[in-house]
Amino acid sequence: MSGLAHKVLVVDDEPQIRRLLRNTLERAGYQVAPAENGREALRLLHIEKPDAVLLDLGLPDRDGLELIPLIRQRSDAALLVVSAREAIAEKVSALDLGADDYVTKPFDTDELLARLRTGLRRRVQASAESQTVRAWDVDIDLLNRIVRKGGEEVHLTPKEYAFLAELARHPGRVLTHKQLLNAVWGPVFEQNVEYARIVVRNLRQKLEDDPASPRLIVNELGIGYRLKGAEA
Amino acid sequence: MSQAADSETGRALADAPRPARAGAPAGAWGRPLGYAVSAALVALVTALGVAAASFGSLTNLALLYLVPVMAAATLYGLRTGLFAGLLSSLAYNFFFLPPLHSFTIRDPENLLTILVLLGVALVTSQLAARVRQQADLAELSAGRNAALAGFARGLAGLSSEAEVGGALSAEAARLLGVDAVLLLEAGGRLQPCAASAPAHALGALEVAAADWAFDQSEPAGRGADRLAASEWLFQPLIAGGRPLGVLGIARPDGGDPLRADQGALLAGLIDQAALSLGRIRLAAKLANVARLEERDRLRAALLSSVSHDLRTPLTTILAAAGQLKAARGAGIDPALADGLLAEAERLDRFVANLLGMARVEAGALRLNSETVDLTDAAAAAVHDLRNRLDGHRLRIDLEADLPLVRADPQLLHHILINLLDNAGKYADPAGAIAISGAHEAGGLALAIVDEGPGLPAGREADLFETFTRLEGSDRKGGTGLGLAIVKGFAEAMGLHVSAANRADGRGAVFTLHFPEALLVRAPAEAAS
Repeated sequence: MSGLAHKVLVVDDEPQIRRLLRNTLERAGYQVAPAENGREALRLLHIEKPDAVLLDLGLPDRDGLELIPLIRQRSDAALLVVSAREAIAEKVSALDLGADDYVTKPFDTDELLARLRTGLRRRVQASAESQTVRAWDVDIDLLNRIVRKGGEEVHLTPKEYAFLAELARHPGRVLTHKQLLNAVWGPVFEQNVEYARIVVRNLRQKLEDDPASPRLIVNELGIGYRLKGAEA
Repeated sequence: MSQAADSETGRALADAPRPARAGAPAGAWGRPLGYAVSAALVALVTALGVAAASFGSLTNLALLYLVPVMAAATLYGLRTGLFAGLLSSLAYNFFFLPPLHSFTIRDPENLLTILVLLGVALVTSQLAARVRQQADLAELSAGRNAALAGFARGLAGLSSEAEVGGALSAEAARLLGVDAVLLLEAGGRLQPCAASAPAHALGALEVAAADWAFDQSEPAGRGADRLAASEWLFQPLIAGGRPLGVLGIARPDGGDPLRADQGALLAGLIDQAALSLGRIRLAAKLANVARLEERDRLRAALLSSVSHDLRTPLTTILAAAGQLKAARGAGIDPALADGLLAEAERLDRFVANLLGMARVEAGALRLNSETVDLTDAAAAAVHDLRNRLDGHRLRIDLEADLPLVRADPQLLHHILINLLDNAGKYADPAGAIAISGAHEAGGLALAIVDEGPGLPAGREADLFETFTRLEGSDRKGGTGLGLAIVKGFAEAMGLHVSAANRADGRGAVFTLHFPEALLVRAPAEAAS
């Protein structure tokens, strides 16, 4: 697939990290264009036209968060931010500014590649949104608003369905609490995280094999939710 | 009151506004000089009158006597004035009223003249006395203001409490003619700060009066309403509504410490000194805040630099180790790759703990609390430690109707990671580790239960000690840091941690207790 290899722009000021990411990504079959600062990143964005950008938020020349809208204006590349584990607020801001997902330093290679695949798939699906999403043994029919588990239809309340459908429209991708609350309850409720918790708890009771160890609707601490099992 | 003492410069100011004055008890009869002058004036007027009479007319001669009467009343007060009036009427009667050279009064009209002279003396002296009183008052307050202004000027240049204390006690002693001692509050009790004369030992009664004055912000001791048996009078120094200390004064000769006319001056001195002390304390506090801020800034800089400089190589090592392990290519010993990854992860957890401990110690934990489902918290912790706990049977056992809790998800995550890591370290290698959540009296309990030797018998309490002391634990290779952070983070969130052995003795239980206040009963209608 060398001719069709996706190109990834890696923006990080640490040479070791750039080298590491280059190795990891090339081994997984991607082409890599490295940039060490924001200016270089914007220049390469123009020249290389990457399919995805891995953006470290701690850059020497400018705040990584500022770059997100600039990259979004210039490209429809999948945008993943790289940030320290503790920087929850930073990740939420990045996602709300338009980043597709995030990767936490130190990296888990599998997770990094999975997020990258999900981000790249979004680009393909953006035009033709799929009508049915299958995650594990759960089918979410977005056209007919029907949810089945193991082939059996499951009854959901309108809010439960709306929440699940919002996640299903972006399978594998993290949605912030704010994005979900806004989409399901409206902007007035975008701070009411407990609403999301209640709905997710109900959804897990109805859809998870073991509601205590969820694998379908997974929480990202302090950030939001992700629908898993649909990536493959 | 001795005249000698009044001549001392020290007392001059306070005593100056107290000249002999008509009506005042000390100078009721006026000064002898006044009588002499009055008598001389009357004699002069009489001589003039006699001279004038030799030329003929003497009808209104009585008017002449108004001059000595008014002069005496104005200059020397009521009694001297009355004396001049009496003397004038006698002289007038004797020298000018028929029968001449006798005190006999024939004409009742002349009796009226005498009464008028006495009346003029009365009225004039009253008027003069009032004017003089006002002048005295003005002089008194001018003197007091000058003294206070001088004192305030002196205080402005001082920069330590001891200097201000010294200035206040010295000035009070000088202006009021008393012994003065200043006690300032330090470390919860009054401590001597300055004294006008060395070695004032205060008796138990004096100490009690000083404490009362400080506690109640009211004067106490001799001359005050409270504890009047104390030889010393204590006045509180108050700045910004808070007492700073007390000033004690006493007369060396055992008299009343504070005379009635000195109260305002002393109050002025004390106010000035209290203001000055308040200013110095505020300046010290500001300097301290600046120092703390500087320290916090350095600490934050160090933390972020440690975080960055250690994390960057760790990130590379972790990722490389992960890839080695995944590759399992020719020439790579899988055990080596596993070991590399496990140790790198351990180092990463250790760095995270160091940073966490630094934050706890700095008191720099900022809570970002939100509503958390413990299911998510448990799942995330298990996910992050999946490599570490490989081989253990993991069980998540949460009651289905467990309420949501209010917590900082990140701190809670860190706590659970450390507790699970701890369980992984001490439980039997293949033993089960369970995360269980259940209602308990007063809230809910989230427990990490392991299967293994458990805690050393009777050492559960010691373990709590190592929570705080950070001293090396004798359990395998632990630093105690992990549990110290568990305690620090938990307490920051309002949780209580406890450690115990399982009831059946086959393992340890670490429990996080969420009080009722942290439970969230979300509205069920949100989901419909």
